[in-house]
Amino acid sequence: MTLFFLTSGLFLGWSLGANDASHVFGAAVGSKMVTFRKAAIIASVFFILGAVIQGSGTSQTLGKLGAVNAIGGSFTLSLAAAITIYMMTKFALPISTTQAIVGAIIGWNLFTGNHTDSSTLTKIVASWVAGPIIGGLFAVLLFILVRKFKRSVKIHLIRFESYIKTGLLVVGAFGSYSLGANNIANVMGVFLPAFNLQNLDLGIITLNSSQQLFLLGGLATATGIITYSRKVMHTVGNNILELSSEAAMIVVLAQALVLFIFSSTALSDFFVRMGLPPIPMVPVSSSQVIVGCILGIGLYKGARNINFKILGEIGLAWVASPVISGVLTFFLLFFMKNIFNINVGHRIDVPGVTVVAPVDQVISNTETDMSGIIKYLLMGIMIAGALAMIYFYLLERKKTMEHRKSEERFWKNLK
Amino acid sequence: MAVFTRTTKNLIIKIDEFFDNIDLGILVFREGIKSYLNKDMESFQRHLQKVDTLESNADKLQREIENDMITHSILPQHRAEVAQLIDELDEIIDGVKSTLHEIDIEIPEIPEELNNDIIRLAEASASAAEELVPAARAYFKAPFTVREKLLKVYYFESETDKISFNLKKKIFHESRELDLAHKAHLRYIIHHIENISDLAQKAADLLSGMAIKIVM
Repeated sequence: MTLFFLTSGLFLGWSLGANDASHVFGAAVGSKMVTFRKAAIIASVFFILGAVIQGSGTSQTLGKLGAVNAIGGSFTLSLAAAITIYMMTKFALPISTTQAIVGAIIGWNLFTGNHTDSSTLTKIVASWVAGPIIGGLFAVLLFILVRKFKRSVKIHLIRFESYIKTGLLVVGAFGSYSLGANNIANVMGVFLPAFNLQNLDLGIITLNSSQQLFLLGGLATATGIITYSRKVMHTVGNNILELSSEAAMIVVLAQALVLFIFSSTALSDFFVRMGLPPIPMVPVSSSQVIVGCILGIGLYKGARNINFKILGEIGLAWVASPVISGVLTFFLLFFMKNIFNINVGHRIDVPGVTVVAPVDQVISNTETDMSGIIKYLLMGIMIAGALAMIYFYLLERKKTMEHRKSEERFWKNLK
Repeated sequence: MAVFTRTTKNLIIKIDEFFDNIDLGILVFREGIKSYLNKDMESFQRHLQKVDTLESNADKLQREIENDMITHSILPQHRAEVAQLIDELDEIIDGVKSTLHEIDIEIPEIPEELNNDIIRLAEASASAAEELVPAARAYFKAPFTVREKLLKVYYFESETDKISFNLKKKIFHESRELDLAHKAHLRYIIHHIENISDLAQKAADLLSGMAIKIVM
């Protein structure tokens, strides 16, 4: 039953992998600078690493917005967000997983009569506006630097492109890591209060309860990347193709920096130590930050034909995604509670004070042996990964040899 | 990763070698025409052989460059244009080869009073092609300088047109001792020599567009 309740979160993770993660490598794959296979492997591995290592910061913020205190509530909330994403994608409207999940949490708060922390909400909404703006500024700054470097060094175009190609992989890895760190809260954040798993010792590292959940969410996202993001990557790539390859790399780097900034507790602590205000740990929309970056470069280059329709659609998504998701959550919670008689949570708030909710139905390790499942899952994935790597290596080798032979035959026949 | 392999370095060397072949081919063309007009057939034959080798090398390099760009996914955004540019440059050396071969086969009788004009024509036409090579090299290293380099190509192409026009006029209006077949043959040879600059102009047009795209 526990695993069933987790399915909506895993589905949300899958859709995050299929849509949002595609933005990181979209430009690289769409422009054929990087193969899809390479992009999918790097994006999956680094997303999982980001989620497990640095995913807790943004989850805490979502927890402050609404600590969902029953697994039935977490399930319904994730389901509503996933349905919203599916519906809006179906109608070709820009959608943000972050906004859908925030709307769903507010819907849960409204249904259960819990107080929505207005300061946390303000922080989150402000970051949605700030994210694309900061992204745009970063993009312009990096664009100027790269251009100046290219002009002063007079580097050969082919060498420069080879650096860009490698840069796209490195930046893509960083972008995937940042996305995992920032956006895993959207996928698994609402399940955290409902799970209390035993630490999982993997020999080199030990994963705590939330990290195990993030790992599961990360694996679901990786599945989304591998199974469904190829098409999205090509679409994104073709939309961004008007940008040069270096601009594409800059866009991904700027986006990664924004996501990293909003999810790095270490950076926030450093700010505090320097006497500056802390950086809010907020999940931001990766797709909207990317649009901000592209617009930034477009404005810098003096583009007159900025597509205000896209800007309008983003504005619409800012309002529509949380509203639709919130309303849907409210109705789904009503059905779950009254028709299926599932506990979806209860009122816990002390106005003005944020507390971790007492969870009605905490899933402990002894009940489900979740950690064991995760351990075997990881082993299976590692074995499958190693086999796949050997297979692809042999395939590549065969292709190279055949190509060499065919070239030799061609020149021999020509003589 | 591309940075850690020798593919990039090898491709850069191949492209440079290809440009060297084109450069030498144009030089040989110029000298070949002069040898023919000076009736130094031994030297002409030597130039003919040299141009054959250069053209064959250029063909091989062209194929290797295209293969490398596709198999190693190099310059995916500009690959088609770079391949087209290489093809246009190859057309020039093909044109050089075919012109010298036409002369070798048809052995046109060129009146001595036209020698200087033909040399001027060959010089101007070869210069147009010659000026294209540094512009094409600049596309890879300093694309913002390409357009100013291309100005010389357009200048020499227009000079070639003027020389060719005057030369044809001289042949058909002033050289009354030549019969019509002879005149037509000379016109045909002039057209061949002039064609080198036309091919250079065609490549320059492509290069100009490519440079704008990469600079923007």
